[in-house]
Amino acid sequence: MTAPLLVVDSLTRRFGGLVAASDVSFTVAPGEIFGIIGPNGAGKTTLFNVIAGHYRPTAGRVSFEGKDISGHAADEVGRRGIARTFQAVHIFKNETVRANLHRAAVLARRHNPLTWLSRRPHATPDLEGTAAFLGLDMLLDNVAGSLAYGLQKTVGVGLAMMVGPKLMLMDEPAAGLNPSEKIAAAALIRRLRDERGISVLLVEHDMPLVMGICDRILVLNQGMPIALGTPADVKSDKSVIDAYLGEDYEFA
Amino acid sequence: MKVRAVYALILLLAALPWFIGSRYIFHIATMITIMIPLVLGMHLMVRIGQLSLAHPAFWGLGAYASALLTMRLGMPPLLSLLVGAAVPSLVALAVGPIFLRIKGVFFVLLTFAFGEIVDLIFQEWTGLFGGNSGLYGIPKFSILGLRLTQIPHYYVLGLIAAILVYLLMRAIERSDVGAILESLNEDEMLSRSMGANALAWRVAAFVVSAFAAGISGGIYAFYIGFLSPDPFGFQTIVDLIVMVTVGGAGSVLGPVLGAIVTVPLPELLRDAREYQLMIYGVCLIGFMKFAKQGLISFIVDKRRGA
Ligand SMILES: Nc1ncnc2c1ncn2[C@@H]1O[C@H](COP(=O)(O)OP(=O)(O)O)[C@@H](O)[C@H]1O
Ligand SMILES: [Mg+2]
Repeated sequence: MTAPLLVVDSLTRRFGGLVAASDVSFTVAPGEIFGIIGPNGAGKTTLFNVIAGHYRPTAGRVSFEGKDISGHAADEVGRRGIARTFQAVHIFKNETVRANLHRAAVLARRHNPLTWLSRRPHATPDLEGTAAFLGLDMLLDNVAGSLAYGLQKTVGVGLAMMVGPKLMLMDEPAAGLNPSEKIAAAALIRRLRDERGISVLLVEHDMPLVMGICDRILVLNQGMPIALGTPADVKSDKSVIDAYLGEDYEFA
Repeated sequence: MKVRAVYALILLLAALPWFIGSRYIFHIATMITIMIPLVLGMHLMVRIGQLSLAHPAFWGLGAYASALLTMRLGMPPLLSLLVGAAVPSLVALAVGPIFLRIKGVFFVLLTFAFGEIVDLIFQEWTGLFGGNSGLYGIPKFSILGLRLTQIPHYYVLGLIAAILVYLLMRAIERSDVGAILESLNEDEMLSRSMGANALAWRVAAFVVSAFAAGISGGIYAFYIGFLSPDPFGFQTIVDLIVMVTVGGAGSVLGPVLGAIVTVPLPELLRDAREYQLMIYGVCLIGFMKFAKQGLISFIVDKRRGA
């Protein structure tokens, strides 16, 4: 078995008295699509923010490629090869799609003012190729903020791709999309893994999507992990059905 | 096209003192060129979303440092101008990592307090800075054996510096560095997630902007030939804010227009000194209400810049 890419070990994050994530452990293997599900307020976004370095963990550790990154700043985590997309659309709305992708590459390559001193520049993917991969090649000169919502989310994925990540954290990539866009989003996530070799850690509400593309799934409830396994395992887990899915939930 | 017209107009205005030939007009024109690097330095910070009230102090640090380097160490003026401008830069490098962690109104207050402290040091450290009675006997500027003795000489020096700093700021704005600074300002969380070290970039901008202020200070010191802590205090903060607001922060050309329009005002309003602040106030309110993007917005659309 290959060494895991990401290890989350007994991670806890409190906000005052509220335990938003409690003793969460899981690993993501290279090439895996790993899902995190749970009702609203379960702590999924919090978990993302701790892994991505926006919040410090209260306890526990995160390591990436065997190195401890717990409590590292967001930009450091980004430079190590973990990119992320956001639950709300985060793109440069006033700029063209091309300028958006260009900016992402520049932000990654020239991450501080003295990078020109370093001998080996950070390699970033080809802009046109990335746009073609995402189906944005005809829209490169359109202002990003003027695109349809689904396309704006795709631009967000493009920004994350342009930094050349090994792991992409995606927070609800299908939220707000129409059914056909959701199918396209699922296909895109698969292709990120299959064609670009990017592992994916996914938070998503859309059950058919999660069940359809994830290799393994972690279920959170009120900050606590209640199940971890393949989609089939999770679907039939008694505590999951009780806590979250409800008796009458229909899996697709 | 309109931008070209503005460049042409500025060139024309810049040539005006030679047509009029009055020393007084040359003096005002020289003061305009001296304020341009300073206001452009302040503008760079505004572009990254940080209103710095430390810039009059940086201006003063550049002025005293350039003067003292020549007076005490006998450095050639051109060298003391450059080394003197590096002094506020180094101070910005030292305090930047602390100040620039802070945003919004607290950054404004912190830089204001910093400026007051520096101004106090200018006043109290009389052994070095001459205190309130001033620092006298700053030698004339000279370059390649050429001594600048007349006001028009300093006007040419000021013009050259203003143009160089303007070109530098415009190059920054149009380069990848400009894109990085703008990205950080627009969406810091996104930019950081892609690897950008926000604090390091902000400090870099602070250092460059302090250097521009320092250049202004050095030329000011050699031109006036006498320094007192007076100009490096609160009044200049107000002047700079008026310049940026009136000219418009959306483009590098904005603050240049702001300086051209604003610097002559106190001279024109000489008989109405007590109304000056009031007129400033009315101008500020007027622009914020009717032309938020400043004069420059009448010339270029605010996204593309000049
Ligand atoms: N910055 C914060 N400060 C205080 N409480 C927070 C903060 N972020 C999240 N929480 C709380 O933590 C819990 C988990 O939230 P979140 O991680 O956003 O859940 P999810 O993404 O699963 O819907 C919620 O109760 C939320 O109110
Ligand atoms: Mg969430």
